[in-house]
Amino acid sequence: MSAIAETASRGRTRRRRRVDGWQWAGRCFLLFMLLYTALPMIWMLITSIKSGFAATQFPPQWWPDEPTLASYQKLLDPQNSVGQDFLRFFWNSLFVSTVTTILSVIVAVPAAYAFSRFSFPGRNFLFFAVLLRNMFPAVIFLVPLFILMRAIGLVNTHGSLVLTYLTFGLPLAIWLLKGFYDNIPVQLEQAARIDGATRFQAFILIVMPLSTPGIIATAIYSFIGAWNEYIYAYTFLSKNDQLTLPVGIQRFFSENTTDFPGLMAASFMMSVPVVVLFLVLQRYFVRALTEGAVKH
Amino acid sequence: MTIVTGKAEARRRLQPGWSGALRKIWEHRADYAYVLPAIVVMLIVIAYPIYYTVELSFFKTPPGLQLRDKSFIGFDNYTAILTSQVFWKVTWNTLIWTLGSTLISFVLGFATALALHCDFIGRGVLRAILIIPWVISAVAASYIWKWIYHSDFGIIGAVLVGLGLTDRPPNFIDNVSTVLPSLIVVNIWREFPFAMIMMMAGLQTVPEQLLRAAEVDGANAWQRFWHVTFPHLRNVSTVTILLLAVANFNSFIIPWIMTGGGPSNASHIWITHIYELAFGRQRWGVASAYSVLLFLILMTLGYFYVRALSGNERKEGSA
Repeated sequence: MSAIAETASRGRTRRRRRVDGWQWAGRCFLLFMLLYTALPMIWMLITSIKSGFAATQFPPQWWPDEPTLASYQKLLDPQNSVGQDFLRFFWNSLFVSTVTTILSVIVAVPAAYAFSRFSFPGRNFLFFAVLLRNMFPAVIFLVPLFILMRAIGLVNTHGSLVLTYLTFGLPLAIWLLKGFYDNIPVQLEQAARIDGATRFQAFILIVMPLSTPGIIATAIYSFIGAWNEYIYAYTFLSKNDQLTLPVGIQRFFSENTTDFPGLMAASFMMSVPVVVLFLVLQRYFVRALTEGAVKH
Repeated sequence: MTIVTGKAEARRRLQPGWSGALRKIWEHRADYAYVLPAIVVMLIVIAYPIYYTVELSFFKTPPGLQLRDKSFIGFDNYTAILTSQVFWKVTWNTLIWTLGSTLISFVLGFATALALHCDFIGRGVLRAILIIPWVISAVAASYIWKWIYHSDFGIIGAVLVGLGLTDRPPNFIDNVSTVLPSLIVVNIWREFPFAMIMMMAGLQTVPEQLLRAAEVDGANAWQRFWHVTFPHLRNVSTVTILLLAVANFNSFIIPWIMTGGGPSNASHIWITHIYELAFGRQRWGVASAYSVLLFLILMTLGYFYVRALSGNERKEGSA
């Protein structure tokens, strides 16, 4: 008895010691990755609180002599023209991303459910056709879509963006959600049907609540995709008051090429909503990937 | 229960020819209603553009989008592309860009996932920080790095000068030989977290018992990784690498914003080149022909992607 305990404890210490080398390598590697990831973002923040003069010094001021929030004040002040533009771009991005997110959840949920539960002819073909959409770059679709949007009068409207954003968010959304539905036992629905619920009621009352994490993950993905999208917005929109943030910022700073603090402040504020959203909801996202995409 | 459906399935499969197929479709008519919205959106935004691109690639098009004046020229656009100098330059760049970004992102992401796979204080925070580059907009990332690489006030240049390695700050992105690697560094910065998330999810599915059994049998950490963990992650790895490869092959924003393809095409990849041909020089026909070639390459990649995915499906079915 004591011999077993002894070998067990010896085994444990030996294991701990043996792993140590690898663990140290892992720690060093993580530190390197942390620096690689974080330093550019820290430099962005430091630059954004410099004055235009302080930013263009050589050697650079590692920490600004006189930190200032002037860039942020300028961007967020509705009184001056820069602030007006920035806030309008911000609002446009928010509007387009929100509408896209809501619509893509409405479209993806029934589709994913059908792909998971029913075995209609052509199911596999349609499923892979949907997935293959992920493979094609925006550029292939750009010219014909531009012509199509012009034909149906959507050029220079946010509708053109919502419609196109829907399609590139959908494949992953459907894929993730399908994984979720695959893992919800059919018996739960069958029990509800036996108790007199229609298929639709069973879906709304049983399946939907259980797949909430998947739906949240889908929504995050759509929102971030729409918020960050650049190429369609760059091509479809030309009126200044309709631009979304990425295009608006690019337009603005191709005219004011030397305002680095302003550019960094704008980049920072453009990143805040998606980063906050992601950090708050990331466990759903990681879980959805685990259950939906990987666990098979 | 399963046996009954199996029999019904078998009986249905015995129905010969078209009438059987049509009946089957009719029997499942209600199911299509669920998929219909997704399919309709996809058709409008995907099938039509693909058809249109293929058609346009056989025409000579006037500048401006006055496409009524186009004239049929057969495969001339394609021969023009394949015989041009720029094509091979851009293809080579695309190859380096895609392979470099994909492989390094995957290795870094996988290694990070492994290093994060044990418990320590601050693990959650660290993971969250590492994911941020993937979440922020590529436009913001491009500007951040453009500022970091800046030839006069860039921080990297300043550090190199401060360490006495160079006399004056090197010009990373206006230099033909350093521009592509510099952009790849930016791309990896944005892409490795995706590989990390995927592989972290994959690692959770490796059964603990197997690892412990291997340990009892005297396998060291590397052997455990190579013989137990890695084979388990083969499918996830394939899917991750393919998704990364496709995303990198299709990337546009980073080269477009940081360099616009310059200097002298040194950082042009296929997508930026096509965009410039179409919307810059208004050569819609040539750009469409390029897109069709791109499409063919992607279909090949897509074949492997679907095969990797249906490999997953099959395993799930047998489990």
